[in-house]
Amino acid sequence: MNTRDLVLIALFAAIVVVLGLIPPITLGFIPVPITAQSMGVMLAGCILGAKRGALAFLLFLLLVAIGLPVLSGGRGGLAVLAGPSGGFIIGWVVATFVTGLIAERTVRESQAEMRQFIGFFLASVLGGIVVLYAIGMPWVSAVTGTPLLTVATGSLAFIPGDLLKAAIATLAARAVYAGYPLLPARA
Amino acid sequence: MLTSLHIEGNSLLHRLSVRAKLIALVASSIGLFLSGSLAVQAIAFVIAAALYLSVGLSPKEALKRVGFVFLTIFFLAAVNLFYLSVAEVATLTLRLMALVTFAAAVTATTTISAFMDEITILLLPLERLGWLKAADVSLALGLVLRFVPDIFARYQAIREAHRARGLPVRPLTIIGPLIILTLKDADTIAAAIDTRGFRRQ
Repeated sequence: MNTRDLVLIALFAAIVVVLGLIPPITLGFIPVPITAQSMGVMLAGCILGAKRGALAFLLFLLLVAIGLPVLSGGRGGLAVLAGPSGGFIIGWVVATFVTGLIAERTVRESQAEMRQFIGFFLASVLGGIVVLYAIGMPWVSAVTGTPLLTVATGSLAFIPGDLLKAAIATLAARAVYAGYPLLPARA
Repeated sequence: MLTSLHIEGNSLLHRLSVRAKLIALVASSIGLFLSGSLAVQAIAFVIAAALYLSVGLSPKEALKRVGFVFLTIFFLAAVNLFYLSVAEVATLTLRLMALVTFAAAVTATTTISAFMDEITILLLPLERLGWLKAADVSLALGLVLRFVPDIFARYQAIREAHRARGLPVRPLTIIGPLIILTLKDADTIAAAIDTRGFRRQ
């Protein structure tokens, strides 16, 4: 790995920490507040690509594990990983990898703007929502004994917010792609 | 801004090595998941709570650190009451509370440098395979700690710029500039690292 990729990974992990410091937004029509940090998965995948994005989140996971309060709301430490939603936090690494993999394959510089939007949105939804819940929900179910179907039904409350996050991440990722393209995999 | 959750002290957990604590944490989580006995989980929770309260945190801070995770656990326990017997719910809830409390105690008694030393040892096999360098992981970690305050200051500057122009402060219009401005520094930082020969290449 060259030094530039190492620095990009570290800077993105730092950006995810800062996203956790931004106050969450509450919208009337969505039941749960939206934290900017949870957009990090989609952003990292769409902006850095699969390998560097996943490594950025692996580094972030390391920060959590060694006891830095980097999760939104100032949480952190091994206790969060041992709790019921630990699977979602560990799942971030895989989710970022899949998001990046799809973004790398669907988005090209020669494409029209609209095609790029669709590519980024598809990557964000499949990686940042589908893959993430596919890891997080069975984890919750296994750890707490709640039937998987119940967990899945309960998780539906988060889906509108997640789709909104995917839309915001798509627009932001496309803005970065136009301004400072990094996605063409060099790592 | 990024203050570690470690607490100074000289309790039993402070004196144990990181490795012993991590092995104990993994072993107890496997053990508790294999055991279906309510009594075992209850005893484990009492031991974990006693250890956690002995590390020197104020009761308020101690509760704050695990409170959010406990809320999630209680919420899921309430849901579980519709599906499982009360004894089963109590077993599952106590098990999670024991593990979370023990994990919080390990975090509170272990310094970042002690964790990093252990991680460096754990990464040695990967280093032998040539997959990565343990020194790179420490360097990346140092970079994060170094740049979080800078990036947060940049976020505040962009937010002020929005206000000065009478624009609403929205994540969409902040995240784009924040990421571009931050990642554009990567080349300069990488050049600075290479010039000083930090990675010995």
